[in-house]
Amino acid sequence: MSGLAAALRRDVRWPGYLGALVVLLLLPLVLGTPYWRGILIVCAMNVLLAMSLNLVIGYTGQLNLGQSGFFAIGAYVTTVLLKSYGWNFWLACVAAVLASGLVGLLLAAFAARLRGHYLGIASLGFAVIVYQILINWESVTKGVRGIYGIRPPPLAIPGFPDLNFANQAALFYLVAGIALLVYLLLDNLLRSPIGETLRAIREDEISAASLGVNSAKWKAFSFSLSAAIAGLAGCFYPGFVGTLVPDAFNIVESFTMLAMVVVGGMGTMIGPVVGAIVLTFLPELLRGFGDLRLIVYGLALTLVVLFMPGGMVQAWQLLRARFSGGRPQHASGADGVGR
Amino acid sequence: MTDFLTLILQQSINGIYLGCLYVIVALGLTLIYGVMNQINFAHADFVTVGAFVAFFATTRFLTKVLGLSDTTGYLLSIFLALGAGALLGLLINALVFAPLRNRGDELRPLIATIGVSVLLENGQLALFGPIPFQFDSPFAQQTIRFGKIFFSQQSLLVVIVAALAIGALYVFMKFTYLGKALRAVSQDRETAGLMGINETFLIGLTIVIASALAGMAGALLGPVIVLTPFAGTSLIVKAFAIVIIGGFGNMEGTIVAGILVGLIEAFTVQYLGSGLIDLVVFTLLLVMLVVKPTGLIAERREENV
Amino acid sequence: MNALLETRELRKSFGGVKAVAGISMAVPEKSIFAVIGPNGAGKSTLMNLLSGTYQPDSGELRFAGRQLAGLPAHQRARLGLARTFQKIRLFKQLSLLDNVLAGFHIRHQVPAWQYLLPGAAFWRDWTRCRQEGLALLEFVGLGELAAQRAGSLAYGQQRMLEIARALATQPKLFMLDEPAAGLNAAEVAFLLQRLRDIRDRGITVVVVEHNMDLVMKVADHVFVMDHGEFLFEGPPKAVQSNPSVIEAYLGGEFESGALA
Repeated sequence: MSGLAAALRRDVRWPGYLGALVVLLLLPLVLGTPYWRGILIVCAMNVLLAMSLNLVIGYTGQLNLGQSGFFAIGAYVTTVLLKSYGWNFWLACVAAVLASGLVGLLLAAFAARLRGHYLGIASLGFAVIVYQILINWESVTKGVRGIYGIRPPPLAIPGFPDLNFANQAALFYLVAGIALLVYLLLDNLLRSPIGETLRAIREDEISAASLGVNSAKWKAFSFSLSAAIAGLAGCFYPGFVGTLVPDAFNIVESFTMLAMVVVGGMGTMIGPVVGAIVLTFLPELLRGFGDLRLIVYGLALTLVVLFMPGGMVQAWQLLRARFSGGRPQHASGADGVGR
Repeated sequence: MTDFLTLILQQSINGIYLGCLYVIVALGLTLIYGVMNQINFAHADFVTVGAFVAFFATTRFLTKVLGLSDTTGYLLSIFLALGAGALLGLLINALVFAPLRNRGDELRPLIATIGVSVLLENGQLALFGPIPFQFDSPFAQQTIRFGKIFFSQQSLLVVIVAALAIGALYVFMKFTYLGKALRAVSQDRETAGLMGINETFLIGLTIVIASALAGMAGALLGPVIVLTPFAGTSLIVKAFAIVIIGGFGNMEGTIVAGILVGLIEAFTVQYLGSGLIDLVVFTLLLVMLVVKPTGLIAERREENV
Repeated sequence: MNALLETRELRKSFGGVKAVAGISMAVPEKSIFAVIGPNGAGKSTLMNLLSGTYQPDSGELRFAGRQLAGLPAHQRARLGLARTFQKIRLFKQLSLLDNVLAGFHIRHQVPAWQYLLPGAAFWRDWTRCRQEGLALLEFVGLGELAAQRAGSLAYGQQRMLEIARALATQPKLFMLDEPAAGLNAAEVAFLLQRLRDIRDRGITVVVVEHNMDLVMKVADHVFVMDHGEFLFEGPPKAVQSNPSVIEAYLGGEFESGALA
């Protein structure tokens, strides 16, 4: 039965991961200047952030405009524990991820009954509140002045306390490696019945309920996992920039993340990765235009939403279809195209 | 009068003044939502554009080039800002809302307007730079006193303009044919269309009116806020807060809510310091969303299964 | 025969309108139980009360002896209650197979960690679901189109897909809300045969319908409602010739095929 054979066909994915690993290993060697390696690190963080946002917006269908808040929580919890309480960096990181996840859970519980526009606004309000807390809670966060002198994460090898990730190539390997790992686990998760559940919630909550899906519980799961991943990205940010100020977590950052997800291709795994890479590097390549290059974000987002809502992934699929002479309409699903 | 009472009264006046400004902005948002169930995320950026237009018109063009007096220049700039807003409204309707109208997706236009918002902000950043502009209205210097209470001519101007605008809008909605047609469209678009009302034109008109209001608000808000290209970001969330508290699509509610938020802000500044304004307002917003997501005055719609 | 589903004095009002006003009924196991009535009789509201989309204002609701009042819809599905909707609610962006796969939500038996790193149990479940899912699609005649986007189906096919998806939950009671609406004669005949097959597999079927024709041909027992209240019940022939039923259909809206 060809139908059954097609349905039972499993994608072979390890060559892709292997290739990605090789590319990651080579990148800091190809882009050898400190400046470009810095961009690479930022790109890796953006990939993590875009993937996390996509989980909630693309797969679960919840409009979350407050992702910058979770990024901020990750960064500040790590830094404060590190500098004010002398914690080990890695433990602080774990704590920060848990803290973000917990706050994500709270936000989800809070927003359980909100739909569409209301949820978007509530999440935006959340991000603003986080930002305001960062500015005003001076005793802990040092407010607008910021926290200085943050050292890069240490390599936890006993007997070598001074080895750390100050070397930018090393820091890139760390963050990009984590991003690759997260991608792998997330991809597996979203191809599994859990991914099917989230998509069902995105498509139609009411009929999903008739199939036994407890949408409140799964939205909470999705939100808190997404928040935790964003928090994870946040852990590495302070060590990279050295100084932590609230302004890096303005709500405009949420929109940049949204742009990366949408431009790359919402609801697919590879989309946010592509979007993050493109929207990290494009403004850099356009440095010659001065501040005008920043309009790339807004322009790309608007144009994509208007003309190619599936983002670059959709554009790619259309190109492929054209070159293979067109095919009957296939859907994007757990085991099909558009992963 | 006792000092305490004087203080309360003084802050109330400040609050109402601020509230009027917020009302003008929020009314535009709620109008758009009422007529097509969409949110224009770039709305507050229209305000910023209006503010910049008014600023440059007042300080450079009208006074220096055309040689008009400061006050005339400022008043004229209000109209210019209004026009700029209307133009932006026309553009966003033609480019974003109209093409996406019948595609059914609720969130695509919202995300598109987020894109426009980011675009406008970064565009203005490229043009004007990040340093705040000092927009001094010529009316801000003159104060009027009632006993121990005083307010500037600017605040009087704002309240008058706001009252006129709201009044005009009210009359338009309740008594003119176009206004009634507009209300018909917000209640039931299909039926309105079937009755010969040209909804496309009306929806476009609404957006233009709403955006014109935003532009005008910018001219009035310019002297009060920190005028940078990113002024829109903090304003849009406040505007949302007002629209949610008042009820999406509900004009009366929005007016009440706007004044309320203005008062809250005035008193928060007095007792808690200006740094905490946003925190207080947005916490209130989140509380509202949990307790009564459809607003103080609006009604609930059951989903048809 | 035992009653799988029972209600007693079930009531639901919407802002003063009594949609369901004191309905008591008992659905026997392994039968096809039809709920009919003219427009506005409250049939869909009743179905929403049974499935948990609405909660009743008062009255009792029991399924296999268990009280259902207060239980949300998703928990009722876990107990074995499945339904389709009057306005078709498919996952339009997903493929047909993915729609049906969603129906296996409550039946997966995979240790949680394997959702991150698939092991043997995961793949066994994965294969089983796809085999069963395809079989269900074949059952409703859509096996060939498994990989197509659900949104691209014709209306009648969408209806059958909804049925396949609901059956994936392995329900004990299957409720259908006006399944024949919008179907042509051939599709209705196919639907009727499927309903009989479903009943013969041991699943109790509750059908809310307008189409008397369908009801007469396939129902074991008919329950008539009018204006939210109980009107009459009995075997199809008895209902057909009952004077108050005829009057309800004549006195209210005209329905083609209302009188056989």
